[in-house]
Amino acid sequence: MSSLLVEIEHLVREFRTDGGLFGKRLTVRAVDGVSLAIGRGETLGLVGESGSGKTTLGRVILRLLEPTTGTVRFDGEDVFGLDRKALRALRRRMQIVFQDSSGSLNPRMTVGNAVREPLVVHGLARGSEADGRVAALFREVGLDPGYVTAYPHELSGGQRQRVGIARALSVEPEFIVLDEPVSALDVSVQAQVLNLLADLKERRGLTYLFIAHDLAVVRHLADRVAVMYLGKLVESAAAEALYAAPLHPYTTSLLSAAPAPDPAVARQRVVLLGDAPSPHAPPPGCVFHPRCPHPLKSDICRDELPVLHKGEGGRWVACHYAHEPLPVPGHGSTSVPAPGD
Amino acid sequence: MNPLLKVRDLRTTFTIGDSVARAVDGASFDLFPGETLGLVGESGCGKTVMALSILRLIEDPGEIVAGSVIEYEGANLLELSPRELRRIRGGEIAMIFQEPTTSLNPVLTVGAQIAETLRAHEEISREEARHRSVGLLDLVGIPDPDERASQYPHQLSGGMQQRVMIAMALSCEPKILIADEPTTALDVTIQAQILELLAALQRQLGMAMIFITHDLGVVAGIADRIAVMYGGQIIEEATTKSLFRRAAHPYTEALLQAAPRIDAKADRLSVIPGAVPPATAWPAGCRFHPRCPHAWEHCSGAVPDLLPLPPEHRARCWLVVEPHRRRA
Repeated sequence: MSSLLVEIEHLVREFRTDGGLFGKRLTVRAVDGVSLAIGRGETLGLVGESGSGKTTLGRVILRLLEPTTGTVRFDGEDVFGLDRKALRALRRRMQIVFQDSSGSLNPRMTVGNAVREPLVVHGLARGSEADGRVAALFREVGLDPGYVTAYPHELSGGQRQRVGIARALSVEPEFIVLDEPVSALDVSVQAQVLNLLADLKERRGLTYLFIAHDLAVVRHLADRVAVMYLGKLVESAAAEALYAAPLHPYTTSLLSAAPAPDPAVARQRVVLLGDAPSPHAPPPGCVFHPRCPHPLKSDICRDELPVLHKGEGGRWVACHYAHEPLPVPGHGSTSVPAPGD
Repeated sequence: MNPLLKVRDLRTTFTIGDSVARAVDGASFDLFPGETLGLVGESGCGKTVMALSILRLIEDPGEIVAGSVIEYEGANLLELSPRELRRIRGGEIAMIFQEPTTSLNPVLTVGAQIAETLRAHEEISREEARHRSVGLLDLVGIPDPDERASQYPHQLSGGMQQRVMIAMALSCEPKILIADEPTTALDVTIQAQILELLAALQRQLGMAMIFITHDLGVVAGIADRIAVMYGGQIIEEATTKSLFRRAAHPYTEALLQAAPRIDAKADRLSVIPGAVPPATAWPAGCRFHPRCPHAWEHCSGAVPDLLPLPPEHRARCWLVVEPHRRRA
């Protein structure tokens, strides 16, 4: 048994737009040559803003989308080389939880049936045995089994997200892609769901790919964090190392832009100029260079694409000036006031 | 200093059949000239309804209950004629929303939309209005404002659209800007830009701002004072520094502890048990007591007022007067 559960190599996924009535057809590389590996039992946080390609990457890994080129191996098996039957068997082992549980649950199906359906489809349980499993799954995710007859709209957002998690767990997967699982939830409910995900991982020995735009949320679950920008992986490292000292200026900017609930640190930010460029026409050289705040930024950034290279402690970074990283403002001077202080 | 806006015992209800949702239920606060008041709370706490009530944008089946007072420049806005109200809305008090795409007209250029707003409030020529709208786009940091003025909303990014909304809101130099989750739909790096812009414009123009958000991190960086809402009421009010240093209401404390922090890792996030009750059935007594770790009998009986915690802090909690009841 390999210690790597998911191995992604040179993955590319393009989308073609139809260009509208008179427009030109355009090709967008949503995922542009990403290589990553996820160890068994590990939580990899995948972070990026809109258009970074993080969601597309998650879907391609599960083969919910076909890749343009590249490979994904799951427990050593080539995911894109499988026939329908083998793929179906593999699907049992990898599942996904979506951001918007109201959009991913059938509004006309009771939530009990939503959790039961995968059990039946995969031939894992039927009849009263399935009922018992559904009730147990509800309890496991902290829902009263009395809710099995409820419809999605009768539940709160947090409860629906628990249903989504129970449904993913029903087939006893080893690997779950969590695609922004708490982004739509209020802070107090978000904390409940994050704790639940941590418990489930521990209890069931799960492996997670945790996709989020919010670095603070990722910090609480991830062992390792990978950062994407415009389809490319710009940095990956052990979570603690990345938060303590990011090497890529984009990671630094993301960290400093995240609002901290502490007025003492909140006013110090690296504010990036402009918007992320259109993925239709990514800039030459380093894709981040037009917005990069690094003082050493030079012609090489505009002319040459920095390759992802390996640094100390299993870190990877794609920046020409990674050896002189931009410091995070306010880092290290953060005071967390004690309650009642 | 006299407050610019005085809200007293504001109550806004929504009646559907036999059920009455008391979305805002007795909120009182002051807004002073030039300050930013952060209005914080989770979904369903009443923060957006409160903002809409200030501008009297509540429609049937919603209703602002008689006896509520929203006083601006000595007049109760709730008693103004539609004509007087039009002068205030947009002219004196302007508002921006979370989703710029739904507030902008997709078939008009952004320049034309700003010019339209200007001409609705002032008698100026088309030429003058066009000229001023370009100036406003420049003010909100839109590059090539002349060119951008002739573009349509879909040609702009989400961040640029929000800048256009801000330009439009500022066009009549309002004394108060109400910003309802203006950065929630934006990416974090764009959010940072818009927050810096709003803070800079506020200083430059000397206007007061009510900044509504669910995000304690956002409000920490922009507000001078913060009011926390729960169950249709303001449950704590303080200067920003005081609120973050010594949150007094158990709900505020719990919110602060539940928020994942980027600058510190907790092994477990603390959670608030249960969920927010529906506005049709607020619990008796303190609205938070069924979820509160410190609650005792008294809390289910009587709702306290906002009790003073000198110098600059008030909390709607009996612990203020009986601190020994706090459980460790």
